[in-house]
Amino acid sequence: MRARLRAALRILWWRVREWSGDAAYETYLARRGGGEPLTREEFYLDGLCRRYHSGRPDRCC
Amino acid sequence: MRRLVSSLAWLAVACLGAGALGAIALRRGEPVNGIFFVVGAGCTYLVAYRFYSAFLAARVLSLDPTRATPAERLDDGRDFVPTNRWVVLGHHFAAIAGPGPLVGPTLAAQFGYLPGTLWLVAGAVLGGCVQDFVVLFFSLRRDGRSLGQMARDEVGRRAGLLAMVSVLAIMVILLAVVALVVVNALKQSPWAASTLAATVPIAIVMGLYMRYFRPGRVIEASALGFLLILLAVVAGQWVAHSPEWARVFTLTGPALAVAVIVYGFAASALPVWLLLAPRDYLSAFIKVGVVLALAAGIVLVRPTIQMPALTRFVDGTGPVFAGGVFPFCFITIACGAVSGFHALIASGTTPKLLTRESDARLVGYGSMLMESFVGVMAMVAACALEPGVYFAINSPAGIVGAGAERAAATISAWGFPLDAGAMHELARRVGEETLLNRTGGAPSLAVGMAHIFSGTIGGESLLGIWYHFAIMFEALFILTVLDAGTRVGRFMVQELLGRALPGIARPGWAGTLVTSAIIVGAWGYFLYQGVLDPLGGINSLWPLFGIANQILASVALVVATTILIKMGKRRYLWVTLLPMAWLVTVTLAGSWQKVLHESPRIGFLAQASALERQIPEMPEAKAAEARRVVFNARLDAAVTAFFALLILALLAEAATEWHGILAGRRAAASTESPYVRTRWAEGSSS
Repeated sequence: MRARLRAALRILWWRVREWSGDAAYETYLARRGGGEPLTREEFYLDGLCRRYHSGRPDRCC
Repeated sequence: MRRLVSSLAWLAVACLGAGALGAIALRRGEPVNGIFFVVGAGCTYLVAYRFYSAFLAARVLSLDPTRATPAERLDDGRDFVPTNRWVVLGHHFAAIAGPGPLVGPTLAAQFGYLPGTLWLVAGAVLGGCVQDFVVLFFSLRRDGRSLGQMARDEVGRRAGLLAMVSVLAIMVILLAVVALVVVNALKQSPWAASTLAATVPIAIVMGLYMRYFRPGRVIEASALGFLLILLAVVAGQWVAHSPEWARVFTLTGPALAVAVIVYGFAASALPVWLLLAPRDYLSAFIKVGVVLALAAGIVLVRPTIQMPALTRFVDGTGPVFAGGVFPFCFITIACGAVSGFHALIASGTTPKLLTRESDARLVGYGSMLMESFVGVMAMVAACALEPGVYFAINSPAGIVGAGAERAAATISAWGFPLDAGAMHELARRVGEETLLNRTGGAPSLAVGMAHIFSGTIGGESLLGIWYHFAIMFEALFILTVLDAGTRVGRFMVQELLGRALPGIARPGWAGTLVTSAIIVGAWGYFLYQGVLDPLGGINSLWPLFGIANQILASVALVVATTILIKMGKRRYLWVTLLPMAWLVTVTLAGSWQKVLHESPRIGFLAQASALERQIPEMPEAKAAEARRVVFNARLDAAVTAFFALLILALLAEAATEWHGILAGRRAAASTESPYVRTRWAEGSSS
């Protein structure tokens, strides 16, 4: 029972990290294709650049 | 047997919802409890999601669970990432929920609780959710294309340009209006102004943390930021009680407007990691947390609704903003019922994250239901206030008179008893000098939220802290929209001007500064005009914003209808045509009245003419101010007429396309991406 609760909490924590963007780098490392991976800092800045320089609104009124 | 039990359960939910809504609608002279709103809206949403969204998914859109989504086909771990559907729901909700569903219902409460509540519920399930769902689905089938691109591809090149212009126009008005809400909430309030000012260095500390110390650690930085913000809310009380510091942070409307304009320019031009991104992360956490806390607070406190179902102001003479319940209730409440801006979000990041096509139903339809619920909660919070208090906070001095005694006399004469001493006492309890004439909706919502929160935690002693926490929450929300919107507007200006002046579109400081100045200057002008407006600005600018937003919704529904025609779904066209027809009717009626209505409080041109006639009898200083108001009223009239022409032009363009296809003269060319079978389906079949 305790193990199941711990597993559920772990999943919940991962979902919160996914939602907030905290886990984006881990997701990138797991999914990227070939080539040298970006460092965590490079990935963070690259993500911000793509998100905020797209010219598309991503926050509503 | 199971089917029978399920049918009976859904029948019970439907009856419960109908009973609660019936109680809200039909009770007269007896107080209604806020819990009826929660039950009535909640049950309606459940039934709508279970049946109407299922109908849309199965019959109208024919969602195909075997079809691979762009996130699966184009998975790059960055832009296109197959993501858990609940995570995408959270993402999408955090993106669409802004200050609109909080402020709009608060303002529309002047008509009484009934019109706004019914529009929030019915508008969402039949209009707003449908728009968000179909646009998300169509973008999903087109590799995440934006609304503007879909308008160009499906309706025509002119439609694409019209969509882009309307997005830019709504952006300018939107940013001005939300900035005005912040200015009105902070003016003459050292506690609120110092708390909000503190969020700027806090965001910079978070930005430095995520950039240099722990790159990308969003949760750690947000937790740190949240603690610092709580500290800033508490410290704001000390600032307000310190004669020296209170003087520094007691700012007039024009001074705050200039500060917000300078801030907007800085946020647009500075690197995103320094200010915009950390504020955005922090705002998302606080937003979701406060919305959940408000829902829990309403259930626990079960506030009694003080506002009548309908007030005398349904006739258009309301003090909060002028105009009758039709069409202005449906324009004032845009986000929360139908918001065109959502179509931009639904055709932005979200379609690039969905793992399965069937998830579009939960994310598109479901998250709009959640947003509508936020609007209903805001309505409950506003209507739980004594109506006299509500009108005292939200009415400009130009209407109720300056000073507590005059305001109390005016508002009491309307049939809403108000004691001047009670207003002083309420202001003292929340730690403000005065709550009179704090137009814009944010302060009255903060008072309502503070009552609900303090009824749950801390009681009366924490009323001031909760009030300023609520103000900080609303202002943080709004400044995030301001930051992000100004930056997006800047890119749009760069793209539009870049066609004629390629140099401006090139990366570099010169282009950034010039285009930032253009977009900030545009919304800053409307903001400053609103601050100087003797009727408080919200009176003229909020309806303008509502009209612009609903016109954008009409654009989205026009595009959706076009695609449905091309899909051969003629018998289901009503699902988008009916909300579209309603929105076009509402926006055109609203535009007509705002431009040409004979009452100077409603019609911009009548206001300009009435004031112009009085100018010769005014002293020079006042005459100069009046001439500026006259000019602004005519400018507002021109902007409103432009919006109306925009939607008429788009409708003409779309009608030509529809007629051509339906008459068989044009091919119904689809721009859908080719079908690729999803690996999830392969896995399940093997």
